[in-house]
Amino acid sequence: MAIIPEKDRKKLTDIFKSLSNDVKVLFFTQEFECEHCRMTRGLLEEVAALSGKIFLEVYDFVKDAELTKKYSIDKIPATALIGDRDYGIRFYGVPAGYEFTSLIEDIVDISKRDPGLPKKILNELSKVDKPVHIQILISPT
Amino acid sequence: MEFPGIILDTSSISPLNKPDQGVIYDMLIVGGGAAAMSAAVYAARKMIKFALITIDFGGIIKETSEIDNYLGFQNIQARDLIEKFEEHVKSFDIPINFGVAVIETTKKDNIFNVLLEDRSQFSGYTVIFATGEHHRPLNIPGEREYLGKGVAYCATCDAPFFRDKKVVVAGGGNSAFVTALDLMRVNAEVFLVNVTKGWQADESIKQRVRKYEKVHFIDNHKIIRIEGKDSVESVVIKNSSDGTEEKIQCEGVFIEVGLIPNSEPVRNLVNLNELGEVVVDCIGRTGIPGFYAAGDVTSVPYKQIVISAGDGAKAALSAYDFLIKNSIL
Repeated sequence: MAIIPEKDRKKLTDIFKSLSNDVKVLFFTQEFECEHCRMTRGLLEEVAALSGKIFLEVYDFVKDAELTKKYSIDKIPATALIGDRDYGIRFYGVPAGYEFTSLIEDIVDISKRDPGLPKKILNELSKVDKPVHIQILISPT
Repeated sequence: MEFPGIILDTSSISPLNKPDQGVIYDMLIVGGGAAAMSAAVYAARKMIKFALITIDFGGIIKETSEIDNYLGFQNIQARDLIEKFEEHVKSFDIPINFGVAVIETTKKDNIFNVLLEDRSQFSGYTVIFATGEHHRPLNIPGEREYLGKGVAYCATCDAPFFRDKKVVVAGGGNSAFVTALDLMRVNAEVFLVNVTKGWQADESIKQRVRKYEKVHFIDNHKIIRIEGKDSVESVVIKNSSDGTEEKIQCEGVFIEVGLIPNSEPVRNLVNLNELGEVVVDCIGRTGIPGFYAAGDVTSVPYKQIVISAGDGAKAALSAYDFLIKNSIL
């Protein structure tokens, strides 16, 4: 049974029509998939099937150690969204609930190569002159 | 384990026609709930130049699960009703500023200025202020400490985390009973605790909850503190009549004890009542010419979606009359 309801698939198909550039979705799992890995892979497969601009690549956390290291993946299930370059966006765990919207927003932004932020904020961000590691931990409330 | 489900909120993804900061709009509608969206539909049909400024769509309706008292829908998921509202609004090509909160509204030379958190600002000859409400806290020890660690304000969001667990629901109105229903669906044991004697919820929903075996009704008791170590482990309640205290072992506490109007951005502009609600007359006027309010943020009693939708329409029509009478249109 499909994870994404038919109504949302239609919406996503419409939204994805606006995708202007390719987006690679790198998914890191393992040979014997944990339950959440399996769920995430299923969800990403359905998302990728809705647009010719979204390319899902599935990797093994252990066997593909080089890639795992390259993308700084330290736990699974992990999803990395890549555009013309690696913007550093990672989702750990199942991007379900409200995080599904975040996942889709990120795919759209990466495809447009535009974070959709006001100029004023972009100007402020351009002043950041050293690497920043931002982690958003999602809690129930 | 079942897939936890997905929530697709397209309002922040779909390309929007953005309002222009250099334009003086005939009308600015502030808010994204039933009142604001209804006002937007009426304004759009009058073909006036207006913009909608909202931090989200749906407002507090998003935090409920099902609705069975909105005319035309015997039973509808809140999310589906919001989608229908949103689709209706977006069927008109309305400029919408989405995702940023309004922090202040001022008036100068008969023009209203709406200032947003990101310092952007929009101008209008009239304003319909419909920013709704947010949850009222209990303000008791443990409430802030255990927020997200058992304390929750949104059953739609969080009830699934309490499957087979013991949960206290604070409140006695419809919201508390809807929360109980959401918890019943995940087989939680529910303790409804109401500070007053009896229950204020509609009889129909009370009957549905009463059919559930694992629900306990405790009225005339006040929750005085929430206790635990890393997460909620119990709440202490106090009998309002004899002062005796009792402890309920539980893993969750849902707080549904009312709402606080989001009237802060107009605190210095219009009259607020003792509850912080914007005082309006029967057609949404606030006392400041050209400034109207509608929905849950106002002094209109009975916070219901259908009432908000009606009042939003009334406010839009009143503001339209104002524009005509003052030769702005």
